[in-house]
Amino acid sequence: MDEATRVYVKDASKRFGHGATVVHALADVTLTIEGGSFFTLLGPSGCGKTTLLRLLAGFETPTGGRILLGDQDVTALPPNRRPINTVFQSYALFPHLSVAQNVGFGLKMQGIARAKRDARVDQMLALVRMQDFAERPVAQLSGGQQQRVALARALAPEPRVLLLDEPLSALDLKLRKEMQIELKRLQRETGITFVFVTHDQEEALTMSDRIAVMSAGRVQQIGTPREIYAHPANRFVAGFIGESNFLPVTVADGAARIGDHRISLAAPADPGPATLAIRPEDIMLEPGAALSAEVTDTVYLGNAVQIMARLEDGTQIALRQPATIDLPESGQRIGLRLPVEAVQILEAE
Amino acid sequence: MSAGQGQANRTSWSLAAPALALLLIGSIGPLLIVLVYSFMTPGDYSGVQRPFTTQAWEQVFLTRDIFDDTLGWADAHMTIFWRSVKLSVLTAVITFLLGLPTAWFIATRPPDRRALWLFLITIPFWTNLLIRTIAINEIIRNEGLLNQVLLKLGVIGAPLQILYTDTAVLIGMAYVYLPMMVLPMYAAIDRFDTRLLEAAYDLFANRWQALWHVVLPVIRPGILAGSILVFVPSLGAYVTPRVLGGGKNMMIGNFIELQFGQGQNWPLGAALAVLLLIAVGLALTVYVRVLGGAGRADG
Amino acid sequence: MAERRFDPTRLPGFATVAVAVFVLLYLPIATLVAYSFNGGDSVAVWGGFSLDWYGRAWANETVKAAALRSVVIAACASALATTLATLAAVGVVRNRRMKGRAVVYMAINQPLMVPEIVTAVALLIFFASVRQFTGYQGLGYLIAAHAAFCVPFAYLPISARLEGMDATLEAAAADLYATPRQAFRHVTLPLLTPGIIAGAMLAFVISLDDVVITEFVKSAGQDTLPTYMLAQMRRGVSPEVNAISTMLLMVTVVLLTAFFIINKQTNRGKQ
Repeated sequence: MDEATRVYVKDASKRFGHGATVVHALADVTLTIEGGSFFTLLGPSGCGKTTLLRLLAGFETPTGGRILLGDQDVTALPPNRRPINTVFQSYALFPHLSVAQNVGFGLKMQGIARAKRDARVDQMLALVRMQDFAERPVAQLSGGQQQRVALARALAPEPRVLLLDEPLSALDLKLRKEMQIELKRLQRETGITFVFVTHDQEEALTMSDRIAVMSAGRVQQIGTPREIYAHPANRFVAGFIGESNFLPVTVADGAARIGDHRISLAAPADPGPATLAIRPEDIMLEPGAALSAEVTDTVYLGNAVQIMARLEDGTQIALRQPATIDLPESGQRIGLRLPVEAVQILEAE
Repeated sequence: MSAGQGQANRTSWSLAAPALALLLIGSIGPLLIVLVYSFMTPGDYSGVQRPFTTQAWEQVFLTRDIFDDTLGWADAHMTIFWRSVKLSVLTAVITFLLGLPTAWFIATRPPDRRALWLFLITIPFWTNLLIRTIAINEIIRNEGLLNQVLLKLGVIGAPLQILYTDTAVLIGMAYVYLPMMVLPMYAAIDRFDTRLLEAAYDLFANRWQALWHVVLPVIRPGILAGSILVFVPSLGAYVTPRVLGGGKNMMIGNFIELQFGQGQNWPLGAALAVLLLIAVGLALTVYVRVLGGAGRADG
Repeated sequence: MAERRFDPTRLPGFATVAVAVFVLLYLPIATLVAYSFNGGDSVAVWGGFSLDWYGRAWANETVKAAALRSVVIAACASALATTLATLAAVGVVRNRRMKGRAVVYMAINQPLMVPEIVTAVALLIFFASVRQFTGYQGLGYLIAAHAAFCVPFAYLPISARLEGMDATLEAAAADLYATPRQAFRHVTLPLLTPGIIAGAMLAFVISLDDVVITEFVKSAGQDTLPTYMLAQMRRGVSPEVNAISTMLLMVTVVLLTAFFIINKQTNRGKQ
């Protein structure tokens, strides 16, 4: 991995306000973003992901902690002296400049000669496939086109890190899917570190090399999409990424107990009360299984059916099955099997 | 067009008619008479008489030598025109340089305090122009506050004669027209999206580059509006140069008055008034053109 | 240092200049007000606090007559201008496809575009002929002239109020059997009232403050307060003029404050 483009955030915190009204937007966040990777900050609104991004950009100064780019401490550097560029959520294109002038803005501010600048602008416009729009005023562009110009503008000065603040949120679904692929391509072609902020877990899973899931100003888990989906570190992550069932269990002798039923565990866990997490699609229907439940509702989803059921201790559980199975009736009893490899044991509530 | 629309138009016109009639009597109509008067001969005592002639218009620019009857440029008139244009442009420049930081300051206050600052600009805006002129006179006259302070500090040995100079007129006009510059610029800055500034800093602009390359171009309509709101009344200023400029440092407005008073040359006064109107019309046309151009560039 | 937030709107020196501008804006006015309370006879030396000059201005019959005349003209002119502006606004604002709408707008805003001195000499010429023709010498000329240049100021808040008004209200009134006249009387007019009051107040202040047009239109003995003050200024500053200025200033500030409060309340009412 590229050393100079690695971002290292150490114990970064950010408070807004004073006294009783103080808000901890970020609390002691430490993370490493490997150079040349596609890194995503994922979380609900107000989780601190945008604050962290603004610290990286230099729009905010951390209340505590440090930010390093490679081995350079950039904590106190203003945004105009950081080799980091941003794609803004609102794009923030300069309305009085043409597409080409917008893309060339950063280069002009750096004092790069006209000829070199023009060449770079052409190259960037080609990269985002906007060559034909170079002389257009930005107000005449569609949302998707503005998005491309914002990307080209932020990439033109060859930043070491590109920050993207929910750049796709203003686009409709079809365009969003296209741009996801486009962004991934751009990241691969340029080799620049992308730090991408989103609240859309699907977007995060499909695009990222690594994801940091954030909540309440803290990083809850960092890992590859697969790790985070398959092995959520806590209940928040399990609930935020995809859907999960949370069942109260008691752990003893390498097994979890739900009432009288015993599920042996693949990994060791601390004895005592715990929460068992399992995704709806991982639960299997098995007539005559020891764990049984009463069907309360069924929902047809097109490619699948969702069955809502109640365990003997009253806990609600959801399971997803292919649409091809025979639908059980409400009130019918079904047998369930929780495959050992799909079960996660988390701390109790 | 439907019958209903025709009926609606008749109603609209009849409702607007009284106001239009008042304006025709109290403003528009008399302006047309001025144009006619500018092509007549001065009356024996005052007023005008026939025949129709372009003599007044010649007098505006040219003067006939009393000895050899040759035509030459009317230097005295040219001096007055030049002073009017020069002082008006300088007034616009000074009010811009002072007004931009002021408008920026107001627009960037927290919303709950912004209204107060705005109100503080609005009070002088609505205060009688004559009163404000008298107020600035209190400052710059020989026994005024400025001279007293400078004398006390020992900066000067004798009072500065500022009153009755071009400088006095310039100070006065900048003072009275400053709110006219601040208000439209404030409106433009208030609409300005500060995320554009973040984008500029993110793209390596320093504060001055951000101001020059982003803020000023984006708020240009406000700057143009402010400039025209200052330039036009400055060009036609009458009260301020009369009080602060004295009898000698006339601007075109005072010169026009002179023709209807002591000068007893109504046609020349009328021609000068029409000339001023044309100059203002030109300024407004340029303004609309420039603004239109900006509008096209913005899409 | 680390606590400081990066403020993108901070531009070096701007706040300093702005504060200096506010000081410079109010210093002359404050000086003028202060001198109006000067007890000494000299215009240069402070002779202690006194209401002398107010007393003298008050005892001066010419000043009293001028003040009364100013108020009469402003009241008549603003009433006339506001009435006509209201009618015009009601006629024009709602009829978006009106033929010649731009012409009406131009005509109404015309006094704002023509330099006052030009209008002033035009009225001087015109009214001189009318005087000769009719023999009438009264305040009518001044009232007509003031009303004309007050029209755009009265029109502005009224049309703004009308633009912001829900057009379906009138349709609703019509649906409930109101004739157009009744709909105007019982729906449009009550809703329009704050705009009309604002317009009338602006027109009043504008008329009260006018110097140039009054100076040219008035006949002998028709001085208003501003033209009286202008004439006094020929002889240099006088504390009496300062006292009159201060009183006029108070009127303006009170009216403006009232205007802003009314505006604020009606805006709040809209939300």
